[in-house]
Formats: sequence, structure tokens, C-alpha cells
Amino acid sequence: MPLIRKDAASSAPAREHADLLRSDDADERWRAARSLATSPAGAAALGAALAGEQDPRVREAIFTSLARLGAVDSVLPHLRSDDANLRTGALDALRAMTDAVRPHLRSLLADPDPDVRLLSCELTRALPAREANSLMIEVIDREAHANVCASAVDVLAELGEATAIASLERCATRFAGQGFLPFAIQVAIERIKAQQEATDG
Amino acid sequence: MTKRVLIIDDANLVRMYYRDALQRAGYETAEAMNGLEALEYLLAQPADLLIVDVNMPTMDGLTFLRALRRQALPLAATPALVTSTEAAQVDINAARAAGANFYLVKPIAQDLFLRYVALLCGGAPQGASR
Amino acid sequence: MDEATSVNEEEFRRLCDFLYRRTGMIFTETKRYYVERRVQERMQATGATSFASYFARLRSNVRGEIEQFVNAFTINETYFYREDHQLQCLTRDLLAERTAAKQTGDRLRIWSVPCSTGEEPYSIAMWLLDNWPQVDRYDIEIVGSDIDTRVLDAARTGIYGKRALMRLSPEQIAKYFQQLDEERWQILDDLRGSVGFAPVNLIEPAETLTQGRFDVIFCRNVLIYFDDTSRRVAAENLYEALAPGGFICLGHTESMSRISPLFEVRRFEDAIVYQRPLKRRA
Repeated sequence: MPLIRKDAASSAPAREHADLLRSDDADERWRAARSLATSPAGAAALGAALAGEQDPRVREAIFTSLARLGAVDSVLPHLRSDDANLRTGALDALRAMTDAVRPHLRSLLADPDPDVRLLSCELTRALPAREANSLMIEVIDREAHANVCASAVDVLAELGEATAIASLERCATRFAGQGFLPFAIQVAIERIKAQQEATDG
Repeated sequence: MTKRVLIIDDANLVRMYYRDALQRAGYETAEAMNGLEALEYLLAQPADLLIVDVNMPTMDGLTFLRALRRQALPLAATPALVTSTEAAQVDINAARAAGANFYLVKPIAQDLFLRYVALLCGGAPQGASR
Repeated sequence: MDEATSVNEEEFRRLCDFLYRRTGMIFTETKRYYVERRVQERMQATGATSFASYFARLRSNVRGEIEQFVNAFTINETYFYREDHQLQCLTRDLLAERTAAKQTGDRLRIWSVPCSTGEEPYSIAMWLLDNWPQVDRYDIEIVGSDIDTRVLDAARTGIYGKRALMRLSPEQIAKYFQQLDEERWQILDDLRGSVGFAPVNLIEPAETLTQGRFDVIFCRNVLIYFDDTSRRVAAENLYEALAPGGFICLGHTESMSRISPLFEVRRFEDAIVYQRPLKRRA
């Protein structure tokens, strides 16, 4: 057995950096945020520091470190923030950790908060097309909120497959009165069909 | 002079929807996918109106507006129509505080959209099809 | 361009959108022809018969097609005085700002990363000698870095073929090179001595930190190969490697706007560059 166990050795500096996240000096907080990218023990402290962090540069560094750690649980709560900067920062970080986000996607897409559902559609873009396609079909089949559907349709327009067409058509009928959705759905269907022809031919 | 509208939105189909409406109404359009790209664009070419989404990667719409309003004139005074999926009063207030001239909640019908565009651009556009 | 290989407006927009999301490469309508040419090259290479079938291949990254596509924009482009509008910007605008608060004899540091086989850092040195009257007033340090130690060895040796020299005048070649034989020229010892080389991995903070702070960084055509997380880490490393107020120049298809909000965009007559803000805003 090694003389010093690895986790014990790495958690002491992590605690020190976690304290520095509350420093009055933004440069110190920036350095602390970056240093914690390699210690899983720091994820909780990084997540907690986000809410109070006013310096956008330090926020950015915290999100990058959380993305490197794949610390989904520390980032997710901020997807619900009223602060647009924090909310979109969280989304960017989640976008950068596809593998860690993957197990959470289905429940995010069924979240009671439509804003969370809407933003989560974006996260499927990084998945293999087939997987994203079926998740987005599920969304437009059951979703009552026009803007969430719009977000799913935007993803389908990029990587949708022929299996999505029937659901897209039903969605267009449901929201026939809303100018944007029928428009977007028509474009998405055209793109999927063109893509299909190209791959078949 | 044809009025130029810069559409700032990360959603491809939303940009297309606005572009479609604006071009048919005789406006010139340009597009950016987030706030930083918009700032970069505006340093090269002015616009008569900005259509600004809120939730965008790398730089959200409100951070963009605050940065825009800190630029030198006349750039800083470019009118901005914020279009967002966020419908709560707190979001509308935040957009106003950041420098939005008007706030519309998505989804937005093209005719209503064009009415506000014309209003913020100062009258109906030249070369409008009707 | 025939019907099958042409790219219509809608397709061009979709392609741009895709490239922007995946690689951070950014193309406007004015670059359309240039992009179409690269698409045609790749269609030919992959045997695609229509844009749509090529795009399907690109999207699902069949046999690393995304990297192949990016390569079509960047490889075979390492020659002296490449993208000289940025060098023009360096001597016309950037250095004036960077030296405004410096005294005679102060150090001025420029970093070329990645520098590959050295064409870029040597070009910077030659350009400054030829185009910047204040060149002798400051202690100029030019550093070239790359992750690949083999290219750094080649850079230190400084031997180049005709292709690399194509943008230089016979006078410049005579002034800065020694001809070894029909096909090879070597950078003169004096000039070689003026550029330092050090291996660096841009996404390793420990490695970039040891390089100290620079006044200007040239970082062209590397961020487009990184994934989202690596791009963010690299941007933060570059930020730390800049003195406050320092500038960073990216490649012609790149924009910091897709990568990081840490920098401020500055537009000069010859180029768009990104700046580490002098003071932080609360």
C-alpha cells in the first residue's frame, strides 16, 4: 500500500482551493476555480460558488472546471436560474459534457418546468443522430408547450430521420394557429426528406 | 435607404422565420448566432435594428445588450427588439434593465413581428412589397 | 460548377450552421465560393455525388470526415508571410498599443502557437525587422511552441523548400536565408537565434503557465480541431498567457465568439483581433 493514499493527498489542496473560491480577490477565485478542475472533491464547492459569483470571468472558469469534471449535479440547478447569464452558462457547460449528461436527459426533457425542457432539447444535438431523433420524437408527441416543440423541431431539422416525419406532421396540426411552428416543421420535413433521398440514392 | 436588421438567435429555424418575413417586407438582413458574434459583426457594419434572443451560447442576449450599450455612439444606441421564450415579468424587467427597447414573447406571428420592427426602425421600410 | 456539386443558399446556411456548432469555424456569405471549393474537393475525395449525400457523411463523421474537411481549409498553408494582413495589423496598430506604456529596452513578447515547422515565428521576426522602425528600441522575444517535438526540431533547424518561400521577394530570401542547394534554404543563424522554441500542449494549464505572459499571441487553426471542453480550457490558458491589454490573432476561419466570452473583440484596419481586457468590469 502506498504511504500516502491518493484521495487523502488530493483532498487537502482541494479544501484549500475551495476556501479560495470565497476570496475577495477575483484573480484568486479564478485560479482556485481552475485548479479544482482536477479534483472531483471540488465539484460541490464549485457548484455552490456559482450562485454568489458576480465576476463573469470567474463564472466562466467555474463552468469550465465543472465541465471537465463532468459534474452534472453541480451544474443542473443553474439551468433554472432567473439570471440569463448563469442559465446559458450552465447550458454551455452541459453541452460540453455529453457523456455525463446523457443519463439525465430523459428526465430533463420531462421536467415540470417548460424552460428546462426547452433548454434540454439543445443538449441532444451532441448525441448520435438516431438517439437524438427518438428523444425529440417523444418530445413533440407529448409536449403541450409551443416553444419546447420549436426547440425540438430545430434539433430535428439538423439531425432528424424519416421516422420523425409523422410526428412532425401531427405537431404542425396541433399548433396550426401558431405561425412559427408550422413554418419550422415544414422546413424540418423538407430537410429530412432531402437528406433521406441523398442517403438512399 | 433600405433598413438593415441584424437577427441574433442561435436557432437556425427562428432566424429563417424572421429572415423570411423581413426580406419579403423589403428589409436587408444579417444574422449572428450569439451576442459575441453580433458585437463582432456590428463593429464592421452598423444595423438599424437588432432582433435579440435571450438564451444563446457563449454570450446571452442580455449580457450582449449591456455590452452594446457600453460601446461608443452611434452603435450603443441601436434599437433592440428582444424576442424570448421567457415570459415572466422578472425576465421582461431584466431585459429592460439591460437595454431592450421592446420585448416580445415567442412564438411570434410574422405580421405582429413586422409591425414592431417597422415601429422600432422608424416608419415603414422603403421598397416594402405592400 | 455543375448541378450535382453545386451548393444552394439553403444548403450553404445549413453547412455553416453545422460547422459553427461542431468546429467553431465561421463563414459568411462572402466566403461562399471559398467554402464551395473545399466542399467540391471533399466530395471528389469521398465519391459523393450530391451535396446532400456529402453532408450526410460529414454530419455522421464517417471515417473522420469532419477532421478531413477542416484539414482542407488549413493544410498545405504553412508558408512564410501567410495571412500577412495580421502582420500588417501587428506593426500598424497592435504594437503601438502594447508599447505605449513601455520604456526603451523593455521586453516585448510574441508567441506563435502552434508554430509547426517555424514559418510563422520566423515570419514575425522578419516582418518586424523589415516593417517596424522601433524594432531596436525594445527587447523583443519571439517564442514558437507546438505539441509535436519533431516539428520543433525542424523549426530549430530552419530548412525550407521553395513552396514555403513563395510569398517572399528574392531580396528577402537573400537577406534572411542561406541557399543550401537547388531546393533548400536555411534561415540564417542570427535570425534562428532570435526565435526560441518550446514544446507546449495548449490544453495543459501547467504547460502554458510556464511560458509567462505575452503581448501578442498568434494562435491560428488549432482551436477548430478541439472539442468544446478543450476549446474552453485552451481559451482560458491563452487568456492567462496574455498580459492585460494583450492581443490574440486567430486563423481566418476562426472566431473567439464561438469559443469564449473572456476576450473583447477589436477591429483594426487590417484584421479583427481579440484582446484581454485591461481592467475587469464588475
